[in-house]
Amino acid sequence: MALFPIYGVFEGDFVPHLVAIDTDNSMAEIADAVAIHSVGRRIKAKPGGTYEALIADEVVPLDRNFGEVMAEKGVAPLDFVTVRYAA
Amino acid sequence: MSLLQRDDWYDIARDVDWTLSYVDEKQAFPEQWSGVGPVPKEAWLTWDEPYRCTYRDYVSVQREKEAGAHAVREALKRANLYERLDPAHTAASHLHMGTTCFVEQMAITLQSRFCRFAPSPAWRNMGVYGMLDETRHAQLDLAFSHDLLKNDPRFDWCNKGFHTNEWGVLAVKNFFDDWMLNANVVEAAIATSLVVEHGFTNVQFVALAADAMAAGDIDFSNLLSSIQTDEARHAQAGFPTLEIMMKHDPERAQRIFDVAFWRSFRLFQTLTGTAMDYYTPLEHRKQSFKEFMLEWVVTQHERVTRDLGLKQPWYWDQFLECLEHGHHAMHIGTWFWRPTLFWKPNAGVSKAERAWLNEKYPSWEDSWGGLWDEIIDNVNEGKMEQTYPATLPALCNITQLPLGSGWDRHHLKQWKSEYKGRVYNFDSEISKWCFDVEPERYAGHTNVIDRFLLGMIQPMNLEGGLAYMSITPDVMGDDAYGYRWAEDYRSYAQAAE
Repeated sequence: MALFPIYGVFEGDFVPHLVAIDTDNSMAEIADAVAIHSVGRRIKAKPGGTYEALIADEVVPLDRNFGEVMAEKGVAPLDFVTVRYAA
Repeated sequence: MSLLQRDDWYDIARDVDWTLSYVDEKQAFPEQWSGVGPVPKEAWLTWDEPYRCTYRDYVSVQREKEAGAHAVREALKRANLYERLDPAHTAASHLHMGTTCFVEQMAITLQSRFCRFAPSPAWRNMGVYGMLDETRHAQLDLAFSHDLLKNDPRFDWCNKGFHTNEWGVLAVKNFFDDWMLNANVVEAAIATSLVVEHGFTNVQFVALAADAMAAGDIDFSNLLSSIQTDEARHAQAGFPTLEIMMKHDPERAQRIFDVAFWRSFRLFQTLTGTAMDYYTPLEHRKQSFKEFMLEWVVTQHERVTRDLGLKQPWYWDQFLECLEHGHHAMHIGTWFWRPTLFWKPNAGVSKAERAWLNEKYPSWEDSWGGLWDEIIDNVNEGKMEQTYPATLPALCNITQLPLGSGWDRHHLKQWKSEYKGRVYNFDSEISKWCFDVEPERYAGHTNVIDRFLLGMIQPMNLEGGLAYMSITPDVMGDDAYGYRWAEDYRSYAQAAE
């Protein structure tokens, strides 16, 4: 368990945000932490919509643990994690 | 006794030099300050300024300029003109004073280094006038701002700004620390005299002076115009320097030009782009920022490249894309993070202003309209907490500006480099290129995000960030019109409530 800084991007917004996450977080928790800075602020909320998370352009299942994904994909501090509404 | 004509004595007097005997050339003119590189000493003897000026002429002309500028200042002090100005326009003057006064002050040091380390006596002589010019500019900014302190404490930032860690100030300071204070004189002349002063100050001083005059701010317009006449003269130092460099070291000249052009553009886009297209009242806008850039900077740049043999920067197509979008990104970003500013930004997206933006920038609605619509709905529904940020935006390790502010939301992409074990992020492929060609120049610098992560900003929240930036409640940014513009979009149901 460790704090880890990422740049979170919500698809459709124009700027990534600094988001502090925990390596024990699930990708679902990270998606929520990223979305909160864009959805309802500059991106319209989609009632009932669910999120998808992407690292290096690949969708990562929301039930995965970020620490494992980080080791697998070599995610560095301040790398982009993109979140979008699932189709 | 009749006086000699100026041209009879000018070259001899100007070119007075001496033969070194106690030290050798490299000791008197160390490479790290002169930056002559492979250019032979004789080549610098051909350095000739296009705008010749004697000290007698200089003093006489400057005295008149000073008298004119201060006469207008004194007359207007009693007219209480400031109180009648549009609040959106005054934001442009706060922004200008807080971010440029100390650039003028830094330029005194730059010009004094020309006086000491320039490889040609003619250039060293010209540096004297430049140094006096820049002293005048910094003093004018301070004097005019001091007069206006009684109207708004934000004018204190004219003096205070560069002693703070406000993020916008840091972006400006980063560029000028690098190219004005730390670069050798050859590189500094190309980057600042040629690119910044000759290329870009037209935008800030000519365009903004015209807009200020139209908005009724005669005082600010008078200040800008008085400064611009000096810039037009001492900016000429860049041309003979570039001409010599193009003969003897063209690759380095091209690289300096390309880096300085991109970085200057990004700064002026932030300062002038927002002021011209959002802060200037609609009825007083002469041209859009893009139109002004195309006429004054792009055309001029093309002339310089043609005349002096430079190639167009490799990133020219990307620059044109950025010209279409980057200042809109900087604008929505600065407005949204408005508590971190020392001026009050105007949203500038009332229905009439939005129609103007769409006419000038055909893709504006698709790129920016939807983002503003959500903000507007939140304002009109009273969800003000949703119109404020809850964290910091990602920042570029070259420009210090937000990632994503170089283009629009459809082109957001990570650009990064790893150097000596550290990851650096950039707002564009171009900023990444600036870093990659000279990583040692930029490595180790920390932007505000880096400082936050290093624990230099305490407590690690918005309150700590504002204290770190010296933002106090009396100057903290808020919407210039108190959100009245959003009423344009209120539905009948909302209005009835």
